[in-house]
Amino acid sequence: MSWSDLGTISPVVLAVLVAAAILIVDLAVPGRRDAVIVTALGGLGLVAVAILIQAGHSGSAFGGSYSLDNLTVFLDMLFVIIAALTILFAVDYLEPRGLPMAEFAAVLVFAVTGAMLVAGSTDLLLLFVALELMVLPGYMLAGFARNDPYSTEGAIKYFLLGSFSSAILLFGLAYVWGMTGTTRVDGVASALATAISHGSIQPGLAMGLAFMSTGVAFKMAAVPFHYWTPDAYQGSPTPVTAYLSVGPKVGAFAIALRLFVGALGPLKADWLPVVIVLAAATMTLGNLVAITQDNVKRMLAYSSIAHTGYILVGLAAYAGGQVSGLSAILFYGAAYTFMNMGAFAIVTALQRRPGVSSQIATFAGLGRRDPWLGALMALFLLSLTGIPPLAGFWAKAYVILAAIQAGGWLTALAVLAMINAAAAAFYYLRVVVYMYMREPAEETAPVSPGLLFRVGLAATGIGTLIFGLFPALVTAASNAANVFHV
Amino acid sequence: MNLPILSAITFTPLVGALVVAALPSTHPGLIRRTSLAFSLLAWVMSLVLLAAFAFGNTPQLGPTPILVPTVLTPGVGAFVPTNFQFKEALDWIPNFGIQYKVGIDGLSILMVVLTTTLTWISILASFGPIKDRVKGYMISFLILEVGMIGVFIALDLFLFYIFWEIVLVPMYLIIGIWGGANRVYATMKFVLYTLVGSLLMLVAILATAFAYQVAHGSSWVGAFDFEHLQAFAAAGQFGDAFQNLAFLALFLAFAIKVPMFPFHTWLPDAHTEAPTAGSVILAGVLLKLGAYGLIRFAVPLYPHAAHTFAGPIIVLSIIAIVYGAIVSIVQPDLKRLVAYSSVSHMGFVTLGIFAFSATALQGAILQMINHGLITGGLFLLVGVVYERTHDRTIAKMGGLAAAMPLWATVFGFFILASAGLPGLSGFVGEFLVFVGSFGVAPVMAVASIIVMVLAAMYLLWMFQRVAFGTVSDFLKGLGGHLTDMDRTELVTLLPLGVMIVVLGLFPSLVLDLLRAPAQAFLAAAGVTVGG
Repeated sequence: MSWSDLGTISPVVLAVLVAAAILIVDLAVPGRRDAVIVTALGGLGLVAVAILIQAGHSGSAFGGSYSLDNLTVFLDMLFVIIAALTILFAVDYLEPRGLPMAEFAAVLVFAVTGAMLVAGSTDLLLLFVALELMVLPGYMLAGFARNDPYSTEGAIKYFLLGSFSSAILLFGLAYVWGMTGTTRVDGVASALATAISHGSIQPGLAMGLAFMSTGVAFKMAAVPFHYWTPDAYQGSPTPVTAYLSVGPKVGAFAIALRLFVGALGPLKADWLPVVIVLAAATMTLGNLVAITQDNVKRMLAYSSIAHTGYILVGLAAYAGGQVSGLSAILFYGAAYTFMNMGAFAIVTALQRRPGVSSQIATFAGLGRRDPWLGALMALFLLSLTGIPPLAGFWAKAYVILAAIQAGGWLTALAVLAMINAAAAAFYYLRVVVYMYMREPAEETAPVSPGLLFRVGLAATGIGTLIFGLFPALVTAASNAANVFHV
Repeated sequence: MNLPILSAITFTPLVGALVVAALPSTHPGLIRRTSLAFSLLAWVMSLVLLAAFAFGNTPQLGPTPILVPTVLTPGVGAFVPTNFQFKEALDWIPNFGIQYKVGIDGLSILMVVLTTTLTWISILASFGPIKDRVKGYMISFLILEVGMIGVFIALDLFLFYIFWEIVLVPMYLIIGIWGGANRVYATMKFVLYTLVGSLLMLVAILATAFAYQVAHGSSWVGAFDFEHLQAFAAAGQFGDAFQNLAFLALFLAFAIKVPMFPFHTWLPDAHTEAPTAGSVILAGVLLKLGAYGLIRFAVPLYPHAAHTFAGPIIVLSIIAIVYGAIVSIVQPDLKRLVAYSSVSHMGFVTLGIFAFSATALQGAILQMINHGLITGGLFLLVGVVYERTHDRTIAKMGGLAAAMPLWATVFGFFILASAGLPGLSGFVGEFLVFVGSFGVAPVMAVASIIVMVLAAMYLLWMFQRVAFGTVSDFLKGLGGHLTDMDRTELVTLLPLGVMIVVLGLFPSLVLDLLRAPAQAFLAAAGVTVGG
């Protein structure tokens, strides 16, 4: 390790320090919520600055196992935004329930540190360690409401299936390491290229590929590896669900980029059919099941499965020869972060008073009771549906465009995605129906979210709108972050 | 002249929506008047635009609008560039060559004026009936107007798609929030039908642009630009198989909106459940979006496919014309009857488009305008009765001519216009479609003209049951509530009535404007025009 290595990974180091600082502040001034929040948000701001300083630079650390490039910068920035938004939304939820803020913020920042490390990993072993650093705090967050049996149940399911899938992934990595003799991403890629040029790939490598695909599909919650998602999402405290629905998901796609695109790129013709089938099954099943849900959190959980399917279309487009599919994935991740966290934030706001369920009936008459919350929820839902000119529309458009450019079976996949998007309108707009076209069963007082919460809502709302009106702002970044060229 | 007048017209209602949003919702009167003011402003601007529109700036090809012999030669035709006027172009997403590009020809300007006219009429007509959540209603209506105008002026396919989708949301809210008892079902059906079509259209638009991009050395410049694409299509650059798929996707989107049989089932529900003004806009403008899309985009971009599918489409049009008329006869509900008559009337439009003759196309466009004016008026008149009776069942009515003489007179006038009485505009459109399509599909044309008899039958029979005879017990029970039309209601109907008479007597006012678009359409469709 040298000082330059430390400079390269400075955002990750800084993030660890922020997490530690939160705990220390809580120890020094116990019970002071504001101090914790200032430390957390201020610290994340510093991390963001450190990331932005690195923008445009490239380099590698630790003998090539961590690499700094535009992709790292883009994803790191996204993860920091996710963490900041989660903290903004969490205050209003945790406080009335007597849940500690400092632990929450510290665990969250640790998780995000893992995610940031994933983004920069170019070594299979580091990738795995980073992944575990990302998901272990996630299990803790899912079970954060200790006294709530649903939270505990969700956390256990998440933990068991998560560890199981990590083991599978590790098993696959071991095979790949055994067959190629290296754990470096570029080393694996060149070993594979050589193997392909000599003819077929060995069965052992195929096994490794299969195990790794399974492991990553678990993390992404792609069908048929999605079973943990609805329970984990529904049981978790709502701000945690908001985080889980975007943080680890973007993290899983970061693994997909580093692993499948970076290391297994030479084999892309082999995994193309797998991704096509995964994408088709994921979006179709996610949407069909979401239609039948009466609980908004659970509905959004299935909807997040469906969105995984749309994002996979971008990966399939890459495998089909369109490198722009990867930019589309990154754009999708950014757009999805804002609109989905926004939607979960509204659910959080309604649940500010303990005991309020996330059943769809809770939303009845929201448009009249709380015009702002109703309008924002409608905005997020329309964006998730893919109505222009909102962020979600461009996300879909870019993915579809990449698929059409790739041609062949991918055109059919694009058509399937659009039919799915139309079907999804049913369940998203059903919430709008409740908000604006139904009267509440009983008169409930309007919720008045706190200042931090409003800031978070404004950020997600403005993001959803601005990304929609000026998508070029994000495409500039997502194109630059697409470091993989054929 | 470099004033961005098209953008000004399009976004005036948006400014209006923002202003209304800032007004306190405790002053519904102020909100109503502000909304009306902005919609009137857009209307006046569109009239100025019509006056400034260079009628002469069009290729003079034929001596008369009626160009008799048309020869169907599928495939490649001469490219007659449309002279779009008042063009504005700004780069929007340069990565993909997506522009904010707008411009109008004779067809667009007519549709824009129709839109702005019906919008202020609808807003005025909502003053009485809409008492709940006035602010949201007016904002929805003004944003709806932005989308509708945008669709008619967009010259970039992506921009077109975006405006197309913008229309969806306000109409969803208008039906769903301010509609009748079964409104949620109706509005979800409306949205889902439309979305299935429009999302497939998005795929087709992207594929079209991509085909253009591939042929131009992977440069996206102009790939979504309608004028470039039209020239590209006229040069026969889109492959036949590609055309078939892309055409079908666009056709589905537009056919659902028109709506053509068998995609029409959302329409009766949506019309019946929508508030009066919603029905007016739905019938008057939203259905025209589909027909406009067919004329502007589907046929010129994929001429070969348009010819391939013209036969089945003509058959579907005839079915719509006949089926809509027959089903109208048995409708028990006034609004449902008018809704099904729309299916029948819009069948003439699609028939006129796919007959590929200048006369039929001009007739079809005229029919689009007529249908907007006449059906819009009929919905307003049904709304007047509904306001007083809270019922639309034909069987409960009777003797309204005695109770509401002014209303009955005006209603009778619109009924006759809808039935195609010569001298009123409804007749001219259907007649031109008949003449124009006779040369192409004589049997079909005759079948369609027979329907005009059916139309007279269901309309006049309905009028007889509603207006004549003794005042029904149901109406008697209402007592003093059954007042005649008031001044506001008359003001909403007057402009429509005047235009129906004027266009009935001087159809050339519109037909002259349409000569150039018709020529461009036929050239793009690869039809050689004789005569």
